[in-house]
This record gives sequence, structure tokens and C-alpha cells, in this order.
Amino acid sequence: MVVHIVGLDKPGSRFLLQGNEAVARGALEGGVQVATGYPGTPSSEVIETLAEIAKDHGIYVEWSVNEKVAFDVAVGAASVGARALVTAKNAGVNWYMDMFATVVYGGLPGGLVVYAADDPGAFYSSTEQDTRPLARSVGVLILEPADQQESKEMVRLGFDYSEKFELPVFVRSVTRISHSTGDVTFGEIRRERNKVFFNRHYGLPFRYNVYGPYKYGGEVGPSAKHAWQLERLDSIKEFVEEVPLNWVEEGNVDVGVVASGIGYSYVKDALARLDSGVKLWIFKVGTPYPLPTKKLSKFLSNLREVLVVEEGDPLVEEQVRALSKDCCPEVKVLGRGSGTIRSFGELGLAQVLRAVSNLVGSKYYEPSDERRKVKAEVRKIIAPRSSMMCAGCPHLGTYWVLRFALHKTVNKYRDRFKGAWIVNGDIGCYEMGGYGLFAKEIEPSKEKVTKRVSFDNPYEILDTNYIMGGGIGVAQGQYHAGYSEGPIVAVAGDSTFFHACMPALLNATYNKAAITFLVLDNSWTAMTGHQPAPTTGVTATGSPSRVYKIEEIAKALGVDDVWVADPYDLKSAEESLLKAIDKTVNENKTTLVIFRRECALQVVRRLTREGKVITHYVVDTGRCVGCRLCVQLGCPAIGWDKNAKKAFIDPTLCVSCTLCAQVCPVKAIKPSTEEVVGVKGV
Amino acid sequence: MRYYHIMIAGVGGQGNLLLSRIIGDAALSKGLRVRLGETFGAAQRGGSVHSHVRIGKEVYGPLMLEDEADALLALEPLEGLRRGVQYLKEGGLAILNTRKVSSIDVNVGVAEYPSIEEIIESFRKLKARIVYHDFTKIAEEIGSPRLMNVVVLGVFAGIAERELPFTLEDLKTAIRGRVPQRWVELNLRAFDVGYEFSKNYIMK
Ligand SMILES: Cc1ncc(C[n+]2csc(CCOP(=O)(O)OP(=O)(O)O)c2C)c(N)n1
Ligand code: SF4
Ligand code: SF4
Repeated sequence: MVVHIVGLDKPGSRFLLQGNEAVARGALEGGVQVATGYPGTPSSEVIETLAEIAKDHGIYVEWSVNEKVAFDVAVGAASVGARALVTAKNAGVNWYMDMFATVVYGGLPGGLVVYAADDPGAFYSSTEQDTRPLARSVGVLILEPADQQESKEMVRLGFDYSEKFELPVFVRSVTRISHSTGDVTFGEIRRERNKVFFNRHYGLPFRYNVYGPYKYGGEVGPSAKHAWQLERLDSIKEFVEEVPLNWVEEGNVDVGVVASGIGYSYVKDALARLDSGVKLWIFKVGTPYPLPTKKLSKFLSNLREVLVVEEGDPLVEEQVRALSKDCCPEVKVLGRGSGTIRSFGELGLAQVLRAVSNLVGSKYYEPSDERRKVKAEVRKIIAPRSSMMCAGCPHLGTYWVLRFALHKTVNKYRDRFKGAWIVNGDIGCYEMGGYGLFAKEIEPSKEKVTKRVSFDNPYEILDTNYIMGGGIGVAQGQYHAGYSEGPIVAVAGDSTFFHACMPALLNATYNKAAITFLVLDNSWTAMTGHQPAPTTGVTATGSPSRVYKIEEIAKALGVDDVWVADPYDLKSAEESLLKAIDKTVNENKTTLVIFRRECALQVVRRLTREGKVITHYVVDTGRCVGCRLCVQLGCPAIGWDKNAKKAFIDPTLCVSCTLCAQVCPVKAIKPSTEEVVGVKGV
Repeated sequence: MRYYHIMIAGVGGQGNLLLSRIIGDAALSKGLRVRLGETFGAAQRGGSVHSHVRIGKEVYGPLMLEDEADALLALEPLEGLRRGVQYLKEGGLAILNTRKVSSIDVNVGVAEYPSIEEIIESFRKLKARIVYHDFTKIAEEIGSPRLMNVVVLGVFAGIAERELPFTLEDLKTAIRGRVPQRWVELNLRAFDVGYEFSKNYIMK
């Protein structure tokens, strides 16, 4: 058995940890008892790591069905005095805001650390949303680490701070920390566990019931609890003046920097590149809310100009500006809010270097004009690499079938459907169906009329795509608003189905929306790194659980017409889908087709582990007529030989799913007898 | 040494992250600070992946800047050029695996994959020192194309031996620590083969 580094009892040792692993270590050093979350890049490794060491360290760890449930479960644990951690990506924070905003009315006896991994630059997300303003609106202490070491310390300390004030503590990381790796020195693992108890009136009457008749400051019920919370927040404001997470580094000029979170690391990196005798004043912020205003006023009073460096929205900057108006109105406050640094996209080191060098008045490296020219030349030949699904991905089969079923339906009902169908997308590997191709330039259309868009690959099939569970609701709105120029379809994955689609599907049947819903059930939460889902049959910690059948749930939600199809069997899957769409457009019914086939990557990994050979298919170039149909499937193992005008298959990638062979009109694609060692299961 | 920067570029599934961690462990064993910044696309496999490897006394965040890479490990030629043009410094070292992995844009005919000659020529224009070869082929000969990343590491270690802040032995120890037990022997062999290759390679 390999033991995960994070669980090692080696205080004082240094290891390389990814930011999320450091958070897991922090939780261990903080004596976490219950940890919950829903997968979401760049946050998932916290729960994954804790799940691995859960048994050895006596921690309860779960993948919850969505972030809201994860949050509620963590609240429950802290309500009986346990130390709890809940994790989510930026988008997931939106999901639990209701409970977050409410539980602070009275707080909790157990330490509750709320860990959020934001994604500025939206590498893995629909938005670059900064979640700090959400936590601020709720009125809790926010901690923001500058690197992996601080991620660990802040989570560990977060439990203490949370228990001190009996309010959740919000720890906000960003991709460049959570998904980067750094050296981390370990501390002691906390073995002591909080006692678990329940006492309805502990500390406050009706502690755990916002409607309880708690009286305070002349108010009763929620307002009284609100007054309690604001008092706590006042104590937190005093407290942050003393915490070791905010500090000042002295300078020798009258300009300075206020740097929060990763912003601090960028400032240090920038200064390491600027050889000047100038030493800036630096105020390192570890608590972007509330800020230590006394300490900060003192800092500002020495300065003429201050640059606020933070990743995301100008949360610290606006507070500093407001503060400076009171304490030192002559100080000029610069940052993303003032336009000194671009306010969208990733903050990044390059922008910080530019802004800091302006402040210091020293030069930094920039390529010569000559070099820039060479680079521009070179860039011209670099072909883009748009995202693709894996070789043999079952979603490729589903999208093939969907594309042709939609064509056939609008042709069949030509007199009714003058315009276009709508395919509403959702979030998961299949969202790549809406990524398009980087190499294509698209002009916006100015007319407010229905237009059919033609496409010849699975990466352009989705018409709309926003958030998890969004597509099925959006489809209903399109129908009820009277869109009738083509069938209305929504797609979602299995993990997404459980996360957010069940209430929306019930809404569709109850309110009679004529839409066709496709659930792409690959048994995993694939895109975020293959966490188990209720379709997998195991829990986060690997213990067997039941396998939920979406068709059974759908029937209970009022869907009368359900088909289960195999995306590796194109012909019969298409028949099922055609029937479903037909029923929708003719009988105005909500129909469902479940495309069930395990994620190809997981299958191949399992076969590789078992030492099995994964065969491949080949194109018989004598037979291939160069029609390019198989290329349109969008499988990354299929290439196009420009000179020979024939398709070819990369044997190291092909996983023998048979899809291309089914698609080929002249049967030119066949299994190979040759054995090739591939990189398939990596 | 303030910092030493290595950019690792490739596509998903080539073992990019493993390489960055092996190098990171070797640097860590010398008491240096380490930051590894990894960026990959949404896809599980086949997408563009690159890692910033930063080691030294003065590293804080995970990002290097334009023209700051001392070395580029290009596990795939197109991805190598994509990151090389952005990050490799003048006179920097590029180890280029010439085995192409096509892209969907190329497959459906909306873009063209440059020839290996064009790619090499581009590196020359960028004033890189370049070592190129089909390292996947070497890996296949050793036993599996999956060993390509470690072959490339061996080549790099051989060429950059004198400028690296850690030894060959440190790298091998790191390999032993990072690779599953049953794969250790093959990986060490891949490393040695890469190293030997570098000693016989004449840079043009
Ligand atoms: C609110 C929210 N939580 C989490 C995520 C992260 N996320 C992206 S895709 C995905 C899961 C997809 O699983 P599934 O629907 O089964 O599709 P698959 O990737 O397996 O095809 C998740 C959880 C998100 N985008 N939004
Ligand atoms: S990880 Fe699985 S579901 Fe995702 S693209 Fe690859 S094969 Fe498809
Ligand atoms: S059989 Fe065809 S479609 Fe399936 S993985 Fe191989 S090349 Fe791709």
C-alpha cells in the first residue's frame, strides 16, 4: 500500500504539494472530522486526497451530490461541534449561498472552514467570478493564501478562528495556487477530536433555528441573530489587527504596495527581477475581509502612492480607497479598480511586473523589436489545438446520432420546421460539443431571425451552454416562449443529472414542456478527473454503494417516455432518439433518452491495469474513398492524409470503440491484427 | 542562482506533470524553493498542456515570463513551438521530440500542421540551441512510448548537466520516488538511454 504524502507524520519535513493537497494537509493538521465537497476544477484534489487518507486518520469524507448539499452536511457536522471542511470551485459557491448567508445568524460551535478555489482566467470554468465578494456579503472572515505553504496554514488556523468566533471562515484560493505545486513544510497532525454533542440552546437560545424566538437588542428571531453576528464581526475586525497573516515589509521610499493572496507572490517575483536600490513598502494582506484598518491606516500615512495587487475584483482596493479617504486623503490608490491594471482576465505576473516597475521607476526585460518580429513570423505557422474528446469517447457516438436525428426530423417535418433546432448544452466532457474550433473565425449575425448553422464535427453541435443543470431549464423557457421552428433538445451528463437536473426535469413534466432530454451516462464525473457519481456504485472513500438508474428516477419525475441507448451502437441509438424526438414534436411530451456507455478513458485505464492489450482499427487505404465522414466523427485517433486524400488511424491512440467503422460507408475501417503498445491508458 | 526555469510542453497523456515533479523533487533535495505551475485545457487527453518549472532561491509564484525559460522540454513538436516562442530565452536549450500529435483543427482541414523542418527552422530563428529526434521511437524500442518523457529528461540532463543545480543521481532518486514500483527499472533505463543519446549528439 502506498501511503499518500499528505498523511505522513513527519513534522518539519518539506515536500512538494499541490495547493489543494496542501489544503488537505492543513485540514489534517487542524483536526478535521468531516470533509465534503462536489468535484470542480481547480478544487477537487482536496477531497480526493482526504478520501485517500480518511481511513487511516479517522475522517469522514464524502463526495456530495452537489455543493449545496456538501455545504449543508458540513454545517450539520459543525452544529454538533465537529470540525468540518467544505470545498468547491468558484461556480459551486453560488450553489450554497442560501445556507451560507443564513447559518451565520447564530453560527456554529464546531470549526467550519469553507474552501473555495477560484479560477481567474477561466481556465476550467464558465466565468472568472471572484467569490470573495460573496463571502463578504455574508459577513465572515476571509483568508487568502499567497502560496501552498500558506494554504496549509490558513486552513489549519481557520478551524481555530472559526471556533473562536463561532462563525465559518472562508479560505479563498485561485488556480495558480490550488493547481500549482510548491514546497511545503509539514507541521504536527492534530489527533485530538472535538467532542460531538447536541444542545439546542448552546451559547444562544434556539441556536440552530433562525426562527427560534431568540431576543437581542430589542429584536426577536432572525434580526436578533443578525445583531449577534454583527457583534461577532466587530470582534473579528479587532482580531485581524493581530493575526500573523497580515504584515508590513519596510521600504525606503514613499510608494508602496498592498498585496493580497497570490498578488503578494507576484509582487515578490516582480521585485526579484527589478535591480534597483528602491525598496517598496509592502503590506501583505492575508485577510482581505475584514482588513486590519488600524494597521493599514498607519501604513498608508507614510505614503504618497499605493498600488493594490490582488487577483479578481478590486475588493481590497475599494476598502483601501475608502479607508484612505478617512485616514490619509492625499494617498493615491491604484489597482484594477483604477484601471492601472486590467480588470478582466488573469492578474498574472507580467501585469504586476509592469505596474510595480512603474512604481519603482526601473526597467524590466522586454523583447527587442527585432525579436518581436521573428516571433510574429513564427507564430503564423503554429496551428491551433482545439480541445477534443478522447479517442473512443462515447459522447462522440451520441453527438453523431444527435446530429443526424435532428437533420432527419427537420427534413421529415419540413413544412413545420422552417428554421433550426436548438441544442442546449451543459457542463461536463460533452460541453466540448460547444467549444468550436479555434481556427475558425465567426462573424456575428445582425438579423433577429432564426438561422440554421451548419457544422460537420461534434465540437460545434451545442447552441447554448452556461452552467451545470442549466440546459434543461433553458430548453423549457424556449418552448414556453413559443419557439417552434425546430425541435428543442437539452443534453446533460450523469453527474450533472444528479447535481442539478432532477428538479428541472420534474418541472418539465409538471409544466408540460415539449423537449427532448438526452442524458449522457458514462458512469463517472469524468471531466473533473473521474470522481465517482451515483451511477458509479462506489463512494469517495471507495466503499461500495448502490448504482442509481436514471431511467427509474426519471419515471418517478413524471417522464413517461424513456429510452436507454448505447452510443457505441449508432444505428439503434439513432432509432431510439428519432422516436423520442418524434414523440416530443408530435405529442408535446417531455421525452428522455439515456445514452449509456462507460467513459472510454476509464475502461482503457482498467484494461491497462489488468495487463490487457488494447487493439486498434485500421483504414484500408485501398477501399477508402476519401469521403471524410470518419474524420467528422471528431475522434482524435483519426487523421487525414492530405497528400493521399485518405483517412488514417493512429494506432497508439485508437481504443477500438468501432464507431468509425460503423460510420464508414464503404467498410474501409477494420480491426487490426497487429499489436501496438499505445499510450492509451495513461 | 536566483532561479532556473524549465518549460515543459506537450499534450495530455504524455507525462508532462510527472516530469515537472521529478525535477521539482530533485531541486527540493538540494534545499531549493520549487514552484510548478501547470496549465492544461479542459480535455482529459490530447489537449495542450504546459508546465512552468521554477527552482531557485527567489521563486514565489508559479509563473515565468516571456523569454525566461532556460530550457524547453518539448514532448510534442507543435506544442513545443507554441510555448517555445513565448517562453524560451535567446540561447536557451530546446529538447524537441519530433513525433507529431495532430489536432482536430488540422484533421478537419481548417488548419495546417507545420513540417518538422519548419519547426526546427523556427527554433533557429528564435536563437535556441536545439536537440531534436523522434524520442518516442527510442521509448518504443525500450518498451513503451510512455517512457518518452523520461527519455527526454535524460537527454536534457546530459546536455544541461553543468548548469543544473542538482545531479543526475538526484534526478534518479526522484524517479524512484515518483514512478510506480514496477515501472522504476524501465524508467531508469529510459533516462540512461536519453543521457547516452545526448553524449553522442552533435548540435548543429
Ligand atoms: C456548480 C459547478 N460545480 C462543479 C463544476 C465542475 N464540473 C465541470 S464538469 C463537471 C461534471 C461533469 O460530469 P458529468 O455530467 O457526468 O459529465 P462527464 O464529464 O462525465 O461527461 C463538473 C462537476 C461546475 N462547472 N459547476
Ligand atoms: S474522459 Fe471519458 S467522457 Fe471525458 S472525453 Fe474522455 S472518454 Fe469522453
Ligand atoms: S475505432 Fe475509430 S473511432 Fe474508435 S477510437 Fe479507434 S479510431 Fe477512434
